[in-house]
Amino acid sequence: MAERKETVSFQVNGVERELKVSGSRNLLSVLRHELGLTGAKYGCGVGECGSCTVLLDGRAVRSCAVPISAVAGRSVTTIEGLGGEDGLHPVQEAFLETQAFQCGYCTPGLIMSVVDLLRRKPDPTEPEIRDALAGNLCRCAPYPRIIRAAQLAAAAMSSSGERHGDK
Amino acid sequence: METSESGLTRREFLGLTGGVIVFFAIPSELARAAGESEGGEAPSFNAFLRIAPDSTVTVFTGKVEMGEGNKTALAQMVAEELTVPFSSIEMVMGDTDLVPWDGGTWGSTSVRFMGVELRAAAAEARDVLVEMAAEQWGVPPSALTVSEGRISLTSDTRTCVALGELSEGKEIRRALKGEPKLRPVAEYRVVGTSVPRAEGRGIVTGKEQFVADVRIPGMLHGAVLHPPSFGARLTIADTSRAERVSGVVEVVREGEFVAVVAERPEIAREARQSIRADWEEKPHPSMASLWDDLRSTAELADTVTEEGTVGSVLEAAERQFSATYQTAFVAHAPVEPHVALASWQDGKVTVYSNTQTPFLQKDDVAAALGLESGQVRIVVPRVGGGFGGKTNPELAIAAARLARAVGRPVMVDQTREEELTWNYFKPAALIDIRCGVNGDREITAWDCDVYNCGDRGAEPPYGFANRRVRSFGCDSPLRQGAWRGLAGSAITFAIEVHMDEVASEMGEDPVEFRLKHLDNDPRLAQTVRAVAEAYGWTPRRAPTGKGVGFACGIDVGSRVAEIVELEVEAKTGLVHVSRVVVAQESGLVINPDGITNQIEGGIIMGLGPALREVVHYENGRILTDRYSKYPIPTIRDAPKIETVLVPNPTLSPQGAGEPSIFPISAAVANAIFDATGKRLREMPFLPARVLAATAA
Ligand code: FES
Ligand code: FES
Repeated sequence: MAERKETVSFQVNGVERELKVSGSRNLLSVLRHELGLTGAKYGCGVGECGSCTVLLDGRAVRSCAVPISAVAGRSVTTIEGLGGEDGLHPVQEAFLETQAFQCGYCTPGLIMSVVDLLRRKPDPTEPEIRDALAGNLCRCAPYPRIIRAAQLAAAAMSSSGERHGDK
Repeated sequence: METSESGLTRREFLGLTGGVIVFFAIPSELARAAGESEGGEAPSFNAFLRIAPDSTVTVFTGKVEMGEGNKTALAQMVAEELTVPFSSIEMVMGDTDLVPWDGGTWGSTSVRFMGVELRAAAAEARDVLVEMAAEQWGVPPSALTVSEGRISLTSDTRTCVALGELSEGKEIRRALKGEPKLRPVAEYRVVGTSVPRAEGRGIVTGKEQFVADVRIPGMLHGAVLHPPSFGARLTIADTSRAERVSGVVEVVREGEFVAVVAERPEIAREARQSIRADWEEKPHPSMASLWDDLRSTAELADTVTEEGTVGSVLEAAERQFSATYQTAFVAHAPVEPHVALASWQDGKVTVYSNTQTPFLQKDDVAAALGLESGQVRIVVPRVGGGFGGKTNPELAIAAARLARAVGRPVMVDQTREEELTWNYFKPAALIDIRCGVNGDREITAWDCDVYNCGDRGAEPPYGFANRRVRSFGCDSPLRQGAWRGLAGSAITFAIEVHMDEVASEMGEDPVEFRLKHLDNDPRLAQTVRAVAEAYGWTPRRAPTGKGVGFACGIDVGSRVAEIVELEVEAKTGLVHVSRVVVAQESGLVINPDGITNQIEGGIIMGLGPALREVVHYENGRILTDRYSKYPIPTIRDAPKIETVLVPNPTLSPQGAGEPSIFPISAAVANAIFDATGKRLREMPFLPARVLAATAA
C-alpha cells in the first residue's frame, strides 16, 4: 500500500508553503507534524472539541476535520500567527487579562473561535458568545471568564477601530 | 538547625554550586515513601530551594502544574518570605532527574502541605543569611532588617547586601528543622494578591509545550492494539498486513503487547486496524444489574466513624428517615488525552509524560521493563488537566518499550476513544442513610453505609452525637480510581440531599437546619452564613416553586457552601442552572483570583456528573467513547457564579482545588426539589429522570 501524495500550496501565517502530502491528510496533522506548529491541539480528531480550531481564509474551522486538499490556494492563520511579531492580538490580551484558562490546553482553539466571532459580530451579546463557543470544550471550565474575555476583547477592538481579528 | 551532611548529599542535583540550599519534606509523604520502599533507601527530603549567589531563587519540587495554579501559588509563598519579587522565583517541577522524590500532585496537597513547608524553608534560608550578615558586620541578627530582597542594618539602611551575595560562592546546605518565624500576615505584599500566572503568555500564544508538542529528531508514533472488551486475551495476531502499510516502521510484539510504530500517529492507528487478531473474551456483568451487583458483592472495608449508640437512639427517635442515593460511573475526560514520548540514550530512557505522579511512574516503567530505577527519567511538562485521572502509567510503559524495540524515540498518543475507554473511572457509588430526629427537630442518630467509592467525605460535617459511617468495597464492573475529590462529591450529594429532605419534612428552613447542627464547626457555620448573606437568603420551607437549593461541605481543610438557582423545563425535563453563589473558606488565601478560578471551574465541572455525565458500558466495552456520547459541560451550561472568599488569614492555607465540586450536585438536586417538589436521588438528573419524577 502506498500513500498517494500530491503537492499542495497554501499560506500559513502569511508565509507561502508547498508540501507533498497525501491529500486526505487533515490540516491539524499537517500543521503539527509537518510545519512544527503545535499551538492547535488534538482533543478528539472528529470535530467535537474545538481545541484544533484555526482560521481558514479568516473563518474558524476545526482543522482536524479539514482535508489538506481543501486548503490548497487558501490562507491559514494559527495561534502562532495571530499576534504577529509585534505583540498580542486583543483577544489574546483579553484572555490574559481575565486569566480565562487553567491548564490552557483548549485555549488556543478558544481564542481562534473568539477571533472568528468578533469578525462576524463585533459586539456580540452574551447568548451569541455562548452559541459561538459551545463547540469549544474546556474540562477545566473557566467558562465565565471566557465570556468576559470575549466581551473585553470586543470592547477593546471596537474602541481601537480594529474590527477584523484575522488581520 | 544544622548543616546537612550525608543524608542530604545522597543525590547530586544539577551539580549546583554556591548559594544557600534548604532541603525540606512533607512529613506524611516521606512516611508513605518509607513504608513503600521496602529495604531501599527512604528519602529524607522531597523538595528544596536554592538562593544562588546572583540572588535568583529556584524551587525544586516533584509537583506538577495541571492548570490549578500551584506553580504560581508556591512561587508567591517563597517570594513573600524572601521579600523578593514574584518574577525572581524559578520553579523546577516534575522532572525526576532534577527534583527529589515526591508523592504526586493530587488531593489539593500542593499548597496545603508543600506550600507550607516551602514557605518555612524560604524563611529558614532567609534566617541563615541574616545570621551570616550579622556575623560579617559584628552585630546581633536582631539589628538587621530584610526587605526588597536585601539585608540591611536597621539603624543605617545604607549598609546592605543582596540575599544571594552573602554566600559568595560557598555552598551552604541546611535541612529544615522546626518552624522558623514567618513574616507577619499584615506585612504581606505578594501572598494575598492576584498575581497572574507566569505561563499565561505562553498559553495564549500557543507556545507553552504539552507532551504532545515535544519533538525529538527521528521520533515515531506508536498505536497499541487493544482488546475488543475488558480482560480479553489475545490468542492469534496476524500483523503482516499492518507491516505493509506505507509509513509503518515496525509492528512490535512482546507477549500480548502488540503495537504499530509508524511515521505519524494516524498511520499507526490505521495500520493497527488491519491487524487480524483473535481474542478470548470473558463474560461481563450488565449495566442494568449494577446496583444489585454492588450490594451482593459488598464487604465491609472500614468503619469510618462510630460514636455513641446509633442503633438504640435511632429506634427510639421520634421520627426516622431513610433513603438511598446513587451516582454513576464518570470519566475524567480531560481535553488533553494521555500521551508519552520515550527516548533512549546509553541504556537510560527519558519519558515525557503527562502524569500527576512522575515518581510513581518512574518506578512503574522500571518495573515493567526490568530496569533499575536510575535508568528511567520522567519529565512532566505542563499537564492539560488531571482531575485525578492522570496517574495511569500504561502509556509511559508502552512508549518506553516501543522506543527500545525500534531504537528510535516513540510517542504514544492516545485518541479520544482510547482516552474515554482505557483509563479508570470515578467509581459508581451507592449510599444508604438512616437518621433519627428528636422532638426538638434535631438529628440525634446518623447511620450511613457507603458502597464502592471509598470514604473521602463520608464523615458528616455535622455534630451528630450518635453516628456510624461504614464503607464497603464491592466488585466493580469497570476499572475505577481517583477523580477530583474522590468519593467526596458523591457522598456529599447523599448527605446534603438527606439533610434537605429532613429539613423540609420537619418544616425547617434548609439553611437554619444545617446551622442548628453545626455548633461543632464554627468555620463551616460562618461559611454557611456568608453564602446566605451574599445570596440574600430568606427563611423558607421547601418546596417554594422557585428552584433554589442549598448545600455545603468540608474537604481538604476548606469549608464551602453553595446556593443554586435553576429552572426545570416542564415539558422536556431539562434543567438550566442559571446562578450559583458560593462561599469558601480556605484559611490563608495565597492568590484570590487563582482560587476563584478553581472554585468556578469545580462548580461547572460538577454540573456534568450532576446533570448529564454517565459512562455507559455493555459486554465489557465502553459505549460513551466520544464527546458527543459523553457530553461534558459546555459554555452554554455555565451559570453566573458569584464567589465569596471567607477570610481566615491566620489559618494556614487549606486545599482549594477540590472543595467546590463537593456540594454542587446536592445543591442542584435540592433546587430541583424546590422547583418541582420531587426528590432526585440518583445522579445524573437526566431529563428522563426529572420527567419520571415529576409525572409520578
Ligand atoms: S481535535 Fe478537532 S475538534 Fe477536537
Ligand atoms: S483550560 Fe484546561 S481544558 Fe480548558
